[in-house]
This record gives sequence, C-alpha cells and structure tokens, in this order.
Amino acid sequence: MEDSVTVERLLFDASAIVALLFAAVMVLHRHPVKSVLALVVSFFSLAICYVLLTAPFIAAIQVIVYAGAILVLFLFVLMLLNIPAEEHRRDTRPIQRFLSGAGILVFGAMLVALLRDAGVPERFTGAAEQAPAKAGEVLPLARLLFSEYLLPFEALSVLLLAALVGAFVLARREPRGAGS
Amino acid sequence: MIGTIPLSDVLLTSGGLFLIGLAGALLRRSAISIFLSIELMMNAANLALLGYSALWGSYDGQIVVFFVIAIAAAEASVGLAVFVALFRHTETIDVNEIHLLKW
Repeated sequence: MEDSVTVERLLFDASAIVALLFAAVMVLHRHPVKSVLALVVSFFSLAICYVLLTAPFIAAIQVIVYAGAILVLFLFVLMLLNIPAEEHRRDTRPIQRFLSGAGILVFGAMLVALLRDAGVPERFTGAAEQAPAKAGEVLPLARLLFSEYLLPFEALSVLLLAALVGAFVLARREPRGAGS
Repeated sequence: MIGTIPLSDVLLTSGGLFLIGLAGALLRRSAISIFLSIELMMNAANLALLGYSALWGSYDGQIVVFFVIAIAAAEASVGLAVFVALFRHTETIDVNEIHLLKW
C-alpha cells in the first residue's frame, strides 16, 4: 500500500499543519488573549481533521463545545481579570527549566522512535467484520451511548452538575468582602 | 489507511500536538497558558483515538472522545473558577509567585 496523494490526504495534512502551527503560536505567544485565539484556530483545523476521520459528530461538538464554549470561557475570564502578558525576566529556577527542557526532548525522541520502529499498522484484520463507520452517521453513536455507555453517560451528567456547583462556589465573592 | 489518509499522518500530528502541549505546560509560567496547553494535549489524544476508531471501523473511540470533551468542559469551568478566586487573593496567576503551600 503505497502512499498515494489524494485530495482527502492533502486536506488532512494541510489542516494538521495549520493545527500544529497555531498550537506552536499558542505556546510561544506571551499575550494570553492572543494565545487563546491561536488555540481557537488550531481547534478549528482539528475539527476539519475529525471530519476527514469519519467523525463529523465529534467535529461538530469540537467546534461547539471546545472552540465555542470552553475557549470563550477562557476569553471571558482573561478579559474579566485583565491578566497582563507574561513579562520577560530573569529565570529564577534554571534547574527546573533545564529538567523540563530535557524531559520534553526525551519524550519527543521516544515518540519519534516509537512511531518509526513500532510499525504503524495500516489495517487490522478484524476491521472488515465490524460495521464500517460510514461518514456522517450519528445513529450508531447514539445507540452505543444510550445502551452500552449509559452508566458513564449518566455519571457524566452528575459530574457536570458538580462542576457547575463547584465553579459557582469557587468564583463567588466572599460574603464579607475581602478587601474589594 | 483510513480512506486514503495513512494512520502515520494522524499519529504524527497527534504526537506533535502532544509534544507542543507538554512543552507549554512545563515551560510557561502563566497558569492560564498551562491550562490551555493541557487542553491541547487532550486534543492530541482525541485525534489519536479518532484515528484508530476510523481504522477499526468502530465507534468506541468516538464515544471516548465524547466523554473527554465533556470532562474537559467540566474541568475548564472549575479550573477557571479556581483562577478567578486565586487572582482575587494574590493579584497574579504566575505559578512561580503562588507558593502558599510550599515550605
């Protein structure tokens, strides 16, 4: 199975490169608002990748929940708190910095070695027996979600409720006004 | 091979994103940036899951991704609330300045 260049693959690679690029911009930028906006672009191009991987429903919730809700929440908090950009300054913890850098390098080398040596499987033999994932189909996803994964799904709703209450309690201003 | 997309492309992208996220989480000092990097790492994992899900022709990977996104939403709301509370108390979210629990 030789690598063939098709429109699908070109589109996937292009959006993957955009995602990687803007992820790098996110990490490198010192201004927090711009870094969030770069991440929005990165998540949008990841959504395109998800569509090409026959997961349009996940792509939709990626755009709606991730880019739409979570990152907008980040923007709200950033603008509410008026957090300044990280300023350049002398490093106070050189040893930790060095160890972090070394750890990242080692992890990256491991990743490359794994991907090259382990031999990525191109096709599993069992894949044909299962129902092939047709593009754009949400029904089987819903079937699975409400039958086999019903308990985690319900637990998730409790978790979201707990997060709602927790966020409210944490962000609430102290009743007796601590200074402000 | 998913359609015509080789799995290695998917895994390379996923690994690259994870690496960028890891670098951000370890090297940045603003708590918000660290949080964003963690979100990025979650997305890298999601991409790998979806790649294998498409390869296997199974929906379980997509369901895991669904749960990951929902949990990320819960985590983001609580985390940001913590930052708001922290900022009110200390006027900074620089993780080097916040050392209340350090001896």
